[in-house]
Amino acid sequence: MSELSATVMNLPRRDAQDKLRGRTKYTNDRIRLDMLHAVLLRSTVPAGHIRKLDVSAALRCPGVRAVATGADAPGLYGIGIADHPLLAIDTIRYHGEPIAVIAAETEKQARAALAAIMLEVEPQAPVFAMAEALQPAARLVHEGWRGYDVITQGGARAGNIAWEAKSSRGDVDAAFARPDIRIVESSFTVGRQSHVPFEPRVAIGSWEDGRAHIQTSTQVPWTVRNVTGRVMQLPPGRVRVTVPPVGGGFGLKFDASIEPITALLARMTGRTVVLENTRQEEMATCLCRENAEIRIRSAVTAEGYIAGREAVVLMDCGAYGGEQVFLTTMTAHTLGGNYKVGATRLVSRAVYTNTPPNGAFRACNGVYNTFALERHTDEICDALGFDPMEFRKKNVLGDGDLGATGQVFEADVLGPMLDRMEALRASTGTSEAKADGRLYGIATTVGTWFVFVGPSAATVNLNADGSATLVTSGVEIGSGTMVQSLPQIVAGQLGLAPDQVIVREADTDAAGLDVGVGGGRTTVSIGAASIAACAEVREKLLQTAGEMLQTRPEDLVLRDGRVEITGRPGSGMSIPAVVAHAQAITGPISGSGAFAAKNTPAMSGCAMGHFIDALDIPVFVVHEAEVAVDPDTGHVEVLAYRVVQDVGRVLNPRAILGQIQGGVVQGLGYALHEEVTLTADGRIAQDDFETYRLPLAQDVVPVAADLYEGAPSMGPLGTKGAGEVPILAVGAAIGCAVARAIGKPVRQLPLTPPRVLRLLHEREPPPEFPHIAPGWAANTLG
Amino acid sequence: MTVTFRLNGEDCRFHGDPMTPLVDILRQERFLTGTKAVCREGFCGACTVHVDDEAMPSCLKPVGLVQGCAVTTIEGLSSGNQAPHPLQANFEAADAVQCGMCFPGMVMSLSAFVRDNPHASRPEIKAAMVGNICRCTGYERIVDAVADCLDQARKAGQSVGGINV
Repeated sequence: MSELSATVMNLPRRDAQDKLRGRTKYTNDRIRLDMLHAVLLRSTVPAGHIRKLDVSAALRCPGVRAVATGADAPGLYGIGIADHPLLAIDTIRYHGEPIAVIAAETEKQARAALAAIMLEVEPQAPVFAMAEALQPAARLVHEGWRGYDVITQGGARAGNIAWEAKSSRGDVDAAFARPDIRIVESSFTVGRQSHVPFEPRVAIGSWEDGRAHIQTSTQVPWTVRNVTGRVMQLPPGRVRVTVPPVGGGFGLKFDASIEPITALLARMTGRTVVLENTRQEEMATCLCRENAEIRIRSAVTAEGYIAGREAVVLMDCGAYGGEQVFLTTMTAHTLGGNYKVGATRLVSRAVYTNTPPNGAFRACNGVYNTFALERHTDEICDALGFDPMEFRKKNVLGDGDLGATGQVFEADVLGPMLDRMEALRASTGTSEAKADGRLYGIATTVGTWFVFVGPSAATVNLNADGSATLVTSGVEIGSGTMVQSLPQIVAGQLGLAPDQVIVREADTDAAGLDVGVGGGRTTVSIGAASIAACAEVREKLLQTAGEMLQTRPEDLVLRDGRVEITGRPGSGMSIPAVVAHAQAITGPISGSGAFAAKNTPAMSGCAMGHFIDALDIPVFVVHEAEVAVDPDTGHVEVLAYRVVQDVGRVLNPRAILGQIQGGVVQGLGYALHEEVTLTADGRIAQDDFETYRLPLAQDVVPVAADLYEGAPSMGPLGTKGAGEVPILAVGAAIGCAVARAIGKPVRQLPLTPPRVLRLLHEREPPPEFPHIAPGWAANTLG
Repeated sequence: MTVTFRLNGEDCRFHGDPMTPLVDILRQERFLTGTKAVCREGFCGACTVHVDDEAMPSCLKPVGLVQGCAVTTIEGLSSGNQAPHPLQANFEAADAVQCGMCFPGMVMSLSAFVRDNPHASRPEIKAAMVGNICRCTGYERIVDAVADCLDQARKAGQSVGGINV
């Protein structure tokens, strides 16, 4: 039996029954009566200087046990740049920023004491839009930006530009100067998207034996550990983070936010402290998918060759750099992906504004860059008279083609996937008849994403009952990796049934470093580390069994819970017998394994300020949408949706199809009706379920999906991440389909009915970016 | 003020403000954390319970209004080692669950629906789900499982549910 055939199956989720019966204890189900409750004093202005902050009266309020301010946690944190205080220190940079925190016996007492905090703020003129922030005379959101600790070197920074990443390959000026090309230029703008995990950010902190212990709903236990260490100025090893089942993440919980506050209060009080965002706080301070502004220009020949391409992408990081600093990297791979391009240069800038900080959201950056690139591609086709499908087939990245940073892509993947989409459409048929008199559009789009590899560690302990315990820092956020792909992988390696693999929930005291659950990385990175751990277990097991059976270890196999002699099913002995023997003679059997990125090279000098110069594991998608637009109301109905997804190797087809359905529907919300706007005082206006329009059952259609296997991957058993990417090209497919339905260019998402009506009646002004200079180089820091 | 009601088949007394939302009593005083408080405004359905066999959001129900009523939570729908409700079994079999936080409410809403609508069509099932939001799954697999559940019951000549404490 091959490893693969023992691994691939539709393993059901082991956590389903408890979740369905309401027995699963998420972090916010673990609040006990003896815990202190913390509540935050948050800013009600978007920008200002704190002139006075006196908490002494609050400390005397009934039930109050501690009050903390920025002075109690002076360290700054961040990704790339440490610019973010736990609680505002002297300066307020966004509406909703935490300023102080009160811990009291009850939540009611803590809330009542908020009024006793004496706070005087001198308001400053806020900088809300990136257009304002980029003015030469703009007020600096971070006056002291030069003094920040730069955690990762290499990005250009200046004033309100938190970070700038550039890629440049070939002579773009020469490409645009060619006499045989036409230049097509497009501008796009997109708003924020709120994750709305059903479990908000919540943490329970205690202080045990001189160390912090934080139980929290996070995707990144090691980040929470390290950030807590930074802000409390403790060695990170004095912080332990454990993670119960997480009630949804989608990237929101890929950074630390409120968790360290509970450790701080626990140290001050000696008590266990819980801090949970209310739904209003959760949405008003959501680390949203960032709003962005994109300008793309392409030089294309009459034959349809893209000789040159340049783009400027502005990403609003909000008040602090956060994830956007890292995500500037992704423009080279998302906007710079999909197509063969002669020469290209792209710049991506994270811009500070006095708005709530943005963060990571499923296929971060890729979702809007794919929308922009695919709509731009359709505009090229319109301008030059190409068939959009033929143009894509001719130009998609194939074997040996170069990416924006000079990375050499391997194998033809997107081309065959486009063929598979045509086959899928032939099998499902189209739904034009359902348009029933409304405006009908269909569009096929492509997308390029990746697996965020990076370090993972795993330990496997083989137990005397024949079970194995897998210890990692992985977290079950709902995608199923901890309950499906990982036990399947370990079972396949050790000849066990998946239910014999116990999966330990994340505990930074028990498992090694991990960069977290996100970027489609768990099956790949933790899976690879688990396979390495299993190799050590297997070697020890076969060595011992070989001695017991007087057989060479290389003649033994693990199958159905037994160590057997190759080719002789039923021979040998049971794994428990070997483990018991080993425990007495050489000691318990365990193995540890590790994984790291292989750091695929880029072309020298092509990538500047990038956290990832080239993609170790590219992931491709082809999405097709059919829509009907009601010309009277502007309402867009999705009639059908089809996906061909590059999955490398399928381990659990049913689980992947579940991720595709869920990811596409989140993308439909982004494309059509999830809209975040700011009020005049810089607050997120949509801070509840009434104002933020999530997809409902009646909005969605069953997604028809074809899983494309066999593209190269360094992932274990040839796998790629499958849970993140399904959202990637939804904005693109819907945007292109609606543009074709209404016969007008779509340059902004979401396509709410009012916006679609304005587009139909030519009352929607196209995006204009006076703050993006006409010459590409003028949009860079040099 | 004292409010008396039946909770999962047992008498329950609450002393305090009758305007307290039922969900807070369930979660904070009775530790029945299967009822999830997500939006607290009646939109998401994650806190759905049965009050006298009718599904309703417990966040919008002041406890004073359940005086004398029978309240069933997800914990009471199939307690202890009892077999799960057919809907729960179908959701599990269909691999419908992801993060899982919406499901207790989804089960409570839909268990009342399938009991009362044994011949519901797919569009009717979707319409019944208008008050239950799921952020992970994209709904279709849930709809499939409900349809399968009704189908199985019809073939067996039974109604689904009727399991009420």
